[in-house]
Amino acid sequence: MVMKNPDVEFCGYCITHPSESKINFRIQTRGSLPAVEPFRKGLNDLMGVCQHVLSTFEKSMKEYRAQREEEMQ
Amino acid sequence: MAARRGTDEMRERVVLGEFGVRNVHTTDFPGNYPGYDDAWDQQRFEEEFRVDVVGEEDGVLEFDMVGIDAAIANAFRRILLAEVPTMAVEKVFVYNNTSIVQDEILAHRLGLIPIRADPRLFEYRNQGDEEGTEIDTLQFQLKIKCSRNPQAAKESSDPNELYFNHKVYSKHMTWVPLGNQTDLFPDADFRPVHDDILIALLRPGQEIDVLMHCVKGIGKDHAKFSPVATASYRLLPDITLLQPIEDEAAETLQKCFSPGVIEIQNIKGKKVARVANARLDTFSREVFRHEGLKNLVRLARVRNHYIFSVESTGILPPDVLVSEAIKILMGKCQRFLNELDSVPME
Repeated sequence: MVMKNPDVEFCGYCITHPSESKINFRIQTRGSLPAVEPFRKGLNDLMGVCQHVLSTFEKSMKEYRAQREEEMQ
Repeated sequence: MAARRGTDEMRERVVLGEFGVRNVHTTDFPGNYPGYDDAWDQQRFEEEFRVDVVGEEDGVLEFDMVGIDAAIANAFRRILLAEVPTMAVEKVFVYNNTSIVQDEILAHRLGLIPIRADPRLFEYRNQGDEEGTEIDTLQFQLKIKCSRNPQAAKESSDPNELYFNHKVYSKHMTWVPLGNQTDLFPDADFRPVHDDILIALLRPGQEIDVLMHCVKGIGKDHAKFSPVATASYRLLPDITLLQPIEDEAAETLQKCFSPGVIEIQNIKGKKVARVANARLDTFSREVFRHEGLKNLVRLARVRNHYIFSVESTGILPPDVLVSEAIKILMGKCQRFLNELDSVPME
């Protein structure tokens, strides 16, 4: 999600040591914004994606179940 | 025009060559392709994204997610396996175990039994809390003793006739309500999902008397807490015939793929092969072993079409599990957003 932002020049992560749950996350912008902004925008966009996926999935399940009810009758 | 088609293929298809796989990684980031606008656009995503439920039976749910990136689909899969919570036996208090099965083996087996209890009704146990309260613990008792059947025939050697209770099944586990659990869950029926899981075998005189505490946990901690038998996805196959294939070659081609993928039609007396249903194929790449056929077919996968298959252990239905997994990912994003807002940035 952060990579999809055109202001981001570099974005990467690495895990410092497999025994510790820590991730080094690096975002570099093209000099216009503070780097926290693409991070925040990425998180918000990801929340939006999840919300949309959840509502679409539940709608599809409902339609599928309704269609199966009809076929059984 | 050809160049545009080439880049479209690079963006949208993962191509399986004879000796390797090409175009594996996602490359549609802003700036990579001139002429394409790849910046994140929620509206474009919502227009192209769709979920199609293919089938649901016996706890297995198969559905398609189209228009999503690999990282997010993989995140859902990993959360389904490791981070959706369930209730499972964690502490086993052994009062009496004279059976052949050792205490720790018995405890291990009891932990792996799936318990039909909705984990959303319970809390996680606090760290260091040994006793357990009624909001985070379910108590089960297994008390069974094997005895000889005095009515058995003298010569019989069938253990079913000779002994009572010689097989300990999961149906012998009974729920013991703690505190005010009878009021909190008036019509709940907490028991193992399956009644016929064999826990141990006994002979006359042996008995098992244990008390079990179930707690809420996640698969990352111990695999017994994983709510799915397994959750997996595959990409939609895409088979293209680069040239028309006829007669004997068509027959060989049909045998190279899984049944139902290639269909042979009779056009003007000649047998012509046609791709009927690429979705059924499992890509054994048999076609690359035939010199005459390997250059006439392109095997590829559609990069953003995921065919998910989620099989639940029976605790929660699979569609509830998928919804919970998506909510957990949202919860994680929210936690980081809250942290960003609360920690002062210099």
